[in-house]
Amino acid sequence: MSTQTHPKTAPQRAKPAVAFEPRIVGFLCNWCSYAGADKAGAAQLPYPPNVHVVRVMCTGRMDPQFVLKAFDEGADGVIILGCHPGDCHYKEQNLRMIQRHRLFLRYMRQLGYEAERCRLDFVSAAEGEKFAQVVTEMVATIKGLGPLSQRRRQA
Amino acid sequence: MKTGVYLCRCSGIISDKIDSEEVQRRLAGQEGIAYIKTVDLACSDEGKREIGEDVFQQRPDRVVIAACSPRDHEETFREVLSNEGMNPFLMQMVNVREHVAWVTQDPQQATAKAIQMIRAAVRRVAHHDSLEREEIEVSPDALVIGGGPAGLKAAQLLAEAGRHVILVEKGPILGGMPVRYEEIFPKLECGPCVLEPFIADVLHGPHAANIEVHLQAEVVEAVGSFGGFTVKIRKRPRYVSLSTCIGCGACMPACPESSANPVNCGMNERKAIDFTFYGGLPNAPYLDAGACRRFKGQECNACVEACPIPGAIDFDEQEAIVERSVGAVLIAVGNELYDCTKLPQLGYGKLPDVVTSLEFERILAATGPTGGELKLSDGRAPERVAFIHCVGSLDPDHCSYCSGVCCMNALKFNELIAHKLHGALVTHYIKSLVLTGKEDHQLYQKVCARESTEWVRYENAAELTVAAGAGGRKVVRYGDDVREHDLVVLMPAMVPSAAVREVSQLFDLSRDPQGFFEELHGRVDATRSKVRGIYVAGTCQSPMDLSHSMTQAAAAAGGILSALVPGRKLQLEATYAVVDAERCSGCRSCVAVCPYKAVAYNEEHESAEVNPALCLGCGTCVAGCPVGAIQSRHFTNQQIFAEIEGALA
Repeated sequence: MSTQTHPKTAPQRAKPAVAFEPRIVGFLCNWCSYAGADKAGAAQLPYPPNVHVVRVMCTGRMDPQFVLKAFDEGADGVIILGCHPGDCHYKEQNLRMIQRHRLFLRYMRQLGYEAERCRLDFVSAAEGEKFAQVVTEMVATIKGLGPLSQRRRQA
Repeated sequence: MKTGVYLCRCSGIISDKIDSEEVQRRLAGQEGIAYIKTVDLACSDEGKREIGEDVFQQRPDRVVIAACSPRDHEETFREVLSNEGMNPFLMQMVNVREHVAWVTQDPQQATAKAIQMIRAAVRRVAHHDSLEREEIEVSPDALVIGGGPAGLKAAQLLAEAGRHVILVEKGPILGGMPVRYEEIFPKLECGPCVLEPFIADVLHGPHAANIEVHLQAEVVEAVGSFGGFTVKIRKRPRYVSLSTCIGCGACMPACPESSANPVNCGMNERKAIDFTFYGGLPNAPYLDAGACRRFKGQECNACVEACPIPGAIDFDEQEAIVERSVGAVLIAVGNELYDCTKLPQLGYGKLPDVVTSLEFERILAATGPTGGELKLSDGRAPERVAFIHCVGSLDPDHCSYCSGVCCMNALKFNELIAHKLHGALVTHYIKSLVLTGKEDHQLYQKVCARESTEWVRYENAAELTVAAGAGGRKVVRYGDDVREHDLVVLMPAMVPSAAVREVSQLFDLSRDPQGFFEELHGRVDATRSKVRGIYVAGTCQSPMDLSHSMTQAAAAAGGILSALVPGRKLQLEATYAVVDAERCSGCRSCVAVCPYKAVAYNEEHESAEVNPALCLGCGTCVAGCPVGAIQSRHFTNQQIFAEIEGALA
């Protein structure tokens, strides 16, 4: 059995650029985490501008295809932020997302991606500081891992 | 496709960080953007008017508004577009205030991020569909299951508001449990006196015409959803006509047969035709076919011969099924007590004069087996009474929770004993003492002030034993502490009644780990179940006292009155999920993940179907569908993919 990874999905770390600015897509649930991000805004807590937020009503809506799509379009990392377990606006749908994320991390490893590139965390509507912290940490993590820009690489 | 972009300056909050000229320079003419305009304060009346007039003139196909959080103003701008005749869902907001201007220190970076976000929104909005918020006809009528305090309260309030109420009660009388209690804590008010006015109001009050009472009845089938439930109610025969019986009781002494009396926990017997208890409403006896000679094939006509009203007793009455349609359902089916035989060391069921709190209520009640006289099984008056608190409560081997009611009930009993038997020694075996609110502590102080009260604290019920002693006494032992009592009253935990399980299956409602009905939210929505249009109140939702039951029932009635207004159609969410029946493989993954029972499998169409009246648009079924047969309106894969592409372009 060949151990060679599929060429399209093999992670090929580009040479570290002088100032690598990671591109990260953040999927946030409307009720807790998006509200938490709004709270970080209202409190004017500075954090790096590298995360593009995509709002979904619930992280239960998170389709693993969204993460693959983001990587495919040139994202270096993805964060999925939902309500804390037990606090889901839709009762327990964030738990489905936790299950899917676990499964997805196995898939990521098979693709040869570092698991840290797809971080799952929980941010409540009150946790503006935590949102700013998660974003700041994620940007640092991805800076450490280096870029994962398939489309640019293939072009 | 013509897309118009409006960039709010937010009176400088946004424009100080984000260079609008740069945004215009970089995006104009790209991505189908027809124009980018700045507005000083988009959410102000002036700003809304400006955008509205511009939309009217420009007639864009799609609109992007880069301003603040959609959580604040998405509805505001949807309304602006609606007013100009544009479908409000053809708009996407970009949150450049909370997510950019306020949190990005470098203006250049802020501008670059805003440009990227606007590009993503422009690409997303191109895939938006015109959506309508559909409206459906609903029934304003309500079904109330359970004729206890909570059910009565809700029925009365709903009827007062002019709603038609179907009240279904399993037993032959109304009033639930507290109507059987001699006194109610904390103020020792007489139970029947507190509840009977409610019952009388429901049966004969000014709005009684709005309430259809079904006694000895159960809901056996339920279909439909919020706004339109259809239920089947099975009515067992009473064999006594409620419309003609005058409640004289002439039938009872004539009846030759007796059987154990369920309302008195089997502590005495009732005639085959008898009142539930004197004063129980409606004031008419019922016939127990299991005890009656006629139903055993014997010749007997004693009750009919004694009855002064011809036709009031009818042996030929048959079971009936009635069908009713309602818009909402309130479930108030009450609780039971924890089975004390599960703690065999306490002697319940084996030793005489070891009774439960409910049995003790009936012993104290004037309508009970002893006529309210407090006496032992051998007829003597007890001199020493023990209360064992927390039976099955706060116990990982039984019920982990505290019912929060039994402490006060035991204190009430203490007072009643003091009133009935001067000088009787009362011992409370307590694990914990729960006295909340503004009134409870007064009763506690009263009890403490009595010299005839003593307290023993115990930790673990498994180490507390009740055994037979000399002279019929009970020996209660806890470690080195050994005391003798004449009567031992167990204060068991409140547990969900069997009806909770039955009704939960009927309406497909979820129950919590303790078996009570699961509420939508424990703090802010404890009276709504997870299924829209079905409400829960009283001790079937959680252990609680009479006051809380009544309050919760009133809240449920308020919820029903607000949710279903006669003449008002029900407006559905526009963003519900839809199933493509052609693609559905019938795996039912969606049915399993939906928390609101909004997805069901249609056997006839061989496809899952979403009920828009129940779907709240979370999208979990969409992500869970293995064949991509479900779409989340306004959050389609296509729309989210387009946003991702735009964000990373």
